Amino acid sequence: MNTTYGIVAITLVAVATLGIGAFGLRVSRTTSDFYVASRSVSPWLNSSAIGGEYLSAASFLGVAGLVLAFGADMLWYPIGWTTGYLLLLVFVAAPLRRSGAYTIPDFAQVRLQSAGVRRVATALVVAVGWLYLMPQFQGAGLTVRTVTGAPGWVGTVVVAAIVVVNVVLGGMRSITFVQAFQYWLKLTALLVPVFFLLAAWDDDGRPSPVAPSDWIDPFSTGDATGLYLTYSVMAATFLGTMGLPHVVVRFYTNPDGRAARRTTLIVLGLLGTFYLLPTLYGVLGRIYATDLIDSGRTDAVVLELPSRILGGTTGEVLAALLTAGAFAAFLSTSSGLTMSLAAVMGQGLAGARLSGISALRLAAVGSVVVPLALALSAERIAVASSVTFAFALAASTFCPLLVLGIWWRGLTAPGAIAGMVGGGLCAGVAPVLTIAGSPDGWFGTAMSQPALWSVPVGFGLMIGVSLLTRGSVPLNVARTMVRLHTPERLDVDRRDR
Amino acid sequence: MSSSPPGPEGSGRVRVTSPLATAPRHVRRSVREEIDESTGVGEVYMRSLIRSQLRAALTVVVTLALTVGVLPLVFLAVDAVTDRRVLGVPLPWIVLGVAVYPCLVVLGWLYVRQAERAEREFSELVEAQDDR
Repeated sequence: MNTTYGIVAITLVAVATLGIGAFGLRVSRTTSDFYVASRSVSPWLNSSAIGGEYLSAASFLGVAGLVLAFGADMLWYPIGWTTGYLLLLVFVAAPLRRSGAYTIPDFAQVRLQSAGVRRVATALVVAVGWLYLMPQFQGAGLTVRTVTGAPGWVGTVVVAAIVVVNVVLGGMRSITFVQAFQYWLKLTALLVPVFFLLAAWDDDGRPSPVAPSDWIDPFSTGDATGLYLTYSVMAATFLGTMGLPHVVVRFYTNPDGRAARRTTLIVLGLLGTFYLLPTLYGVLGRIYATDLIDSGRTDAVVLELPSRILGGTTGEVLAALLTAGAFAAFLSTSSGLTMSLAAVMGQGLAGARLSGISALRLAAVGSVVVPLALALSAERIAVASSVTFAFALAASTFCPLLVLGIWWRGLTAPGAIAGMVGGGLCAGVAPVLTIAGSPDGWFGTAMSQPALWSVPVGFGLMIGVSLLTRGSVPLNVARTMVRLHTPERLDVDRRDR
Repeated sequence: MSSSPPGPEGSGRVRVTSPLATAPRHVRRSVREEIDESTGVGEVYMRSLIRSQLRAALTVVVTLALTVGVLPLVFLAVDAVTDRRVLGVPLPWIVLGVAVYPCLVVLGWLYVRQAERAEREFSELVEAQDDR
């Protein structure tokens, strides 16, 4: 791949990101602008921002790589990441916006009136965020190394620095513009080359992928392990999306509950459009780039296809476009995660000695330093698996908290704590065991994708302990339900009592 | 009735009125007030709103479970589906790679329509009572 084009592409994305961030800075004035873009973002802008934020390295590079290597069974990942938004739409979107809370710990406090629940939720937000942020930084290092030949830490540090500068300077408002821009950049970056690649494939006489039947057919081996893994991936991605900290934060930028629903519906469309493309790259890769499987560099298939199939200047320019898209993916997801982590930590820090904005800025630096250190020191963990553990953790803790908190009056603070701690331990121990010991057999399978059993544990504990502590149902639960569920046009009393 | 009302010292007659006429007039409270004061009536309205919204959400979940949720089992059990080709592409790839996405969007659109209708009806009910 041509190094100069690659470096130009990365530089352009970085400059555009910082430029749009600076434009946002001129509009960001108050603390409210910083945190929630003053809640005045239109559904289309907000949806593009959510899509831009959500489509991470795993979506842009990882899905095509997985399809190239493992075939049909991998199509469940993008399906799960999209369906997660459908479940978020039906269970969480409007009531969460109406709760008036900004983060999951805020929601826990509003609903359960308990500082203990708030502390547990805060710790879990940080855990999920770091688990998700680390592979983004590592993936950035990998891409920069593939494109330019620079050592891996360069890309990691560059992405972390841009993200911190952006969050510190502009907060949520500039992040919203940046994210919206990056969704459309990512879509364009994948869409335009596809036409050239398919035309070249057509000229080539439309060869079919040469692959064994277990690549083409889903579950051709027909064993129970494959079935367990597929359903566990479904459980993690379907239910985990609603609990990801950077996803939840975006709902507060909607003006009201109805807009929150419409925004989510547009997001569904944007994600569905985007996820049609990575599969094509994976299949074309199976025809033209099978050597990547042997060398274990399947994640690079999206970046390498144009030079291999088209070659010449066209191939180089398209490869640079794809590099720009990949870099946008790292930047947008890391920015969103950093913003939401900083918001949660900043709320904890803000007080007598620090203003709200200073606390947010300090927390932004803090929330990047730890995953950055992990990314630089730890051995590379596969992007897709680390991301799936983050989904499983969110699905086992925040999904029960949100769903039960919104739809069931009987939820109590002790129940919520028991469910989050229990579900969190189950989903948290699994990656540690998998990475440390790689256990074999059924136990190893259950540990490698924990969601199918850890989500029921989280729900079960939350419901069971709530039923045992019925006496501590918050007194104002009826008032909270009015606040969560009545449309804004009705002039009812929404105050805390 | 006599033309000159008798005084108290007169024939000993006493003015008799219905208790309903002197009792404080019954105040008809609006649904909004019932909801604000969390009375039994307000609670009934709120529970019916929440139940109809939850029903819409669960309809989506059941639809998902019966369509997307059973796909792995169908692929596993029915070879005819796995072997079928459409325009040269194996059917599972068409279903998982393309067809699922528009279905998810349509499902979401139907849900939003239903949820907004439930809210509109609830608002109209509450506001109609408000005007009385």
